[in-house]
Amino acid sequence: MMEIAIIIASIAIGSGIALLAGGMVGIGEGYVAGKAVEAIARQPEMEGQIRTTMILGQAISESGAIYALAVVLLLIFSVVLPLLGRLMELL
Amino acid sequence: MEPNILFYIYKLPVSEALLWTWIVMAILSIASFLLTRNLEKIPRGAQHLVEAAVDGISNLVSGDLGPEGKVFVPLILMVTSFVFLSNLIGVVPGAFSPTEDLTTTVVLATIVFVVGHVAAIVKKGFFTWLKGFFEPYWFLFPINIVGEISQVLSHSFRLYGNIFGGGILLGIVYMLVPYVLPVPLMAWFGVLMGAIQTAVFTMLAIAYIQMKLE
Repeated sequence: MMEIAIIIASIAIGSGIALLAGGMVGIGEGYVAGKAVEAIARQPEMEGQIRTTMILGQAISESGAIYALAVVLLLIFSVVLPLLGRLMELL
Repeated sequence: MEPNILFYIYKLPVSEALLWTWIVMAILSIASFLLTRNLEKIPRGAQHLVEAAVDGISNLVSGDLGPEGKVFVPLILMVTSFVFLSNLIGVVPGAFSPTEDLTTTVVLATIVFVVGHVAAIVKKGFFTWLKGFFEPYWFLFPINIVGEISQVLSHSFRLYGNIFGGGILLGIVYMLVPYVLPVPLMAWFGVLMGAIQTAVFTMLAIAYIQMKLE
C-alpha cells in the first residue's frame, strides 16, 4: 500500500511541475500578441493578415504545452486511475 | 487508456471512435452528394458554399506548392473537412469526436507523411530522394530520420492534445457547474479551438508536403 501511495503522490507532484510549461507558453504568446498590436498600429490596413499570422504562430507554439498536457493525461488515465481502486479498497 | 468498445459485429469490436468516424464519413458523403448535384455555371444557393471551400483550399495550396500542386487539393480538402467536422461534432452532448482518440490523428498525420514522401520519390527519383537524407553532411542521417518521425508525432499530438484536453476540461466543468457555464466554454473549446486547430493542421500539412518536395 505504501508503494501505491508513493507512486500516486509522485505522479501528482510531477504533473504539477510539468504543467508549468503552460505559464511559459503564456508569456511567449502574450509577447507575440503585443508585437501584433504594434504592427497593426503601424499599418492598420494589414490587420487581417497580421491577425491570421498571429493566430497561426500562437497555435503552433501552444503545442509545446499540449505535449506536457498529453503526458500528464496519459499518466493519470493509465497509471493513477487503475491504482486508485486498489488503494481505496486497501485503506 | 483503453478504447471504449460499444458493440461487436461478428466478433470484431467497434469502439466509440470507430462508430463516430463512420457517422462523420456518412455526413460528409451525403453532404457532398447533395451539394454537387445540378452544378451550374452561375452559382446559386448551396453551390456558393462548395465553390468557396474549393477555391479557398486551392488558393492556399497553390500559394505554397505552385501550379503543380493542384494534385494535392483533394487530399487537403479531405483532411480539412474531416478534421473540422470531427471537432464540431464533439460539441453535441453525448457525442465523441473521432479526433479525441489518438488513432485518428496519427492516421491522418501518417497519410500526409506517406503522400509527401511518395510525391517526393515521384518528382525527384528514388536515389535522389534517398540521398536527400544524407544532406548536408552524411553523419546527420539519424538526425534527419528523427526529424521526420518527430514531424508526424508533433502533427498528430497537437490536434489530439487540444481536442482531448478541451474535452477533459469540459467534463470537469460539467461535474462542477452543470447549468449555464458549460455553454460559452463549449463555444470556445469546441467551435473556436476546433476551427483554429483545423487551420493549423491544414497549413502544416501543406508546409510538410512542400518541405519534402523541394
